[in-house]
Amino acid sequence: MTKRNYEPKPLFVERMKELLGKDFENYLETLKKDPVRSFRCNTLKISPDKLKKRLEEKGWKIKVPFKNFPEIMIVESELQPGELGRALEHLLGYYYIQEIASMLPPLVLSPKPDEKVLDLCASPGSKTTQMSAMMENSGLLIANEMKIGRIKILAANTERCGVMNMIITKKDGIALCKRFKENNFLFDKILLDAPCSGEGTIRSTPRTLEMWNIKTIENLSKLQKSLIASAIEILKPNGELVYSTCTHAPEENEEVINFALKNFNVKIEKINLPLKTLAGITKFGEKEYLEDVKYACRVYPHLSDTEGFFISKIKKINKNGK
Amino acid sequence: MANQKKKEQQKKMIPLKFFNKQEKEKFIKKLNEQFGIKDIPFSIAKLGSERIIIFSGDVSEKEILGLDRVARIEGIGLYFAKIDEKTQDIRLSIEGVQLVAKQITKNIFELDEKTAEQWMMGQDLNMTTGKKGFYIMKFKDDFLGTGKISAEKISNFIPKSRRLKYKENQP
Repeated sequence: MTKRNYEPKPLFVERMKELLGKDFENYLETLKKDPVRSFRCNTLKISPDKLKKRLEEKGWKIKVPFKNFPEIMIVESELQPGELGRALEHLLGYYYIQEIASMLPPLVLSPKPDEKVLDLCASPGSKTTQMSAMMENSGLLIANEMKIGRIKILAANTERCGVMNMIITKKDGIALCKRFKENNFLFDKILLDAPCSGEGTIRSTPRTLEMWNIKTIENLSKLQKSLIASAIEILKPNGELVYSTCTHAPEENEEVINFALKNFNVKIEKINLPLKTLAGITKFGEKEYLEDVKYACRVYPHLSDTEGFFISKIKKINKNGK
Repeated sequence: MANQKKKEQQKKMIPLKFFNKQEKEKFIKKLNEQFGIKDIPFSIAKLGSERIIIFSGDVSEKEILGLDRVARIEGIGLYFAKIDEKTQDIRLSIEGVQLVAKQITKNIFELDEKTAEQWMMGQDLNMTTGKKGFYIMKFKDDFLGTGKISAEKISNFIPKSRRLKYKENQP
């Protein structure tokens, strides 16, 4: 049992109360609970049925929470600390330990086998490996990361999962998009899982609360707007971009989508997720966002028993307006 | 000055060389001799001095080199095998073995539960087998990489990050 010794800062509490209203206490209580032990079957190596059977033979109680996504699994039985990561099946790349909320952005982007896809901020590779599996190891997947240490983690994870259709690049995301644009290298789909303040990860990483400050959020918001602006430029006409963060801060979420909708030839798409979510907000403090921003999804720990996330899908509109 | 700039540029490029048709045929012939593998329906390339990678991405070699000029390529495809410097024999990686598992008909070494566990813990297996050279290590349905069998042992190549840290079912 992890020791949870943290005190949310008053401004954080105030902001979360504005977002959640009477649900705030419920949210706080959920943060005290241990996270669910979820993982994703790596369908590049083994079928969900075969993996489930095999793990059950080890004595693990496995739950498949979503009928339409049999690759998503939860271990319900008690395990020793670290047992999920030490198991032979993990070492052989049969599954990837991944929070359920983190599996949602690739499901929304839905990359297909023949597509050209960019994962702009790819490390540690959970969503990269998921997308490669969805693409059945074909098409082209470019996974970018700017820090060499994080590239090593990304490379280790993609190797363990048997990813063959991928090229790893090392460049600042904004500069990379600029170079792609100059070379007319365009993508069918882009995942922008942006660097963020991580408010949604408090349940698994309570220290996030200690590091929280509003200045970081404001700075990240600027970076995220630059990233989404750069990424939109290298989408093909009708290309799709999923923007996600693991934070609740509206400056890093709705404000970024609002910025994209106001400044670029894009529209927001409605999305369906297999768990309970809330709509994107259109007002926070004194700030107001476009009505369509409501089509974004907010994932909260107390509603879905996952980490917190924000997910939105935008589509580049053709020059003729379609 | 221009030459120096060109040299610096080349230094930064990823050391990747795709196999041409003849090189690919030669490599697959060697795979066939060693393990009975008949086909690799993907691009094969040498990365650096010893690694063989397999790439299934839908992009030409020319485009890849162009991409390397746009953004430094740090990795590509899947690490498939290494070539033994002395014997020129092929040693498949764990993923390499898993990828072609259905085609492997030769030089398979079946482990029992105890030796499979030792193998996955990264230990050499001290045993006399009467065999010699690279063998595919297998336990039940799991393909566990390649071992090098010599007179009295099987040398282990499981990387540290992929090793079992304890015996299964024992916390």
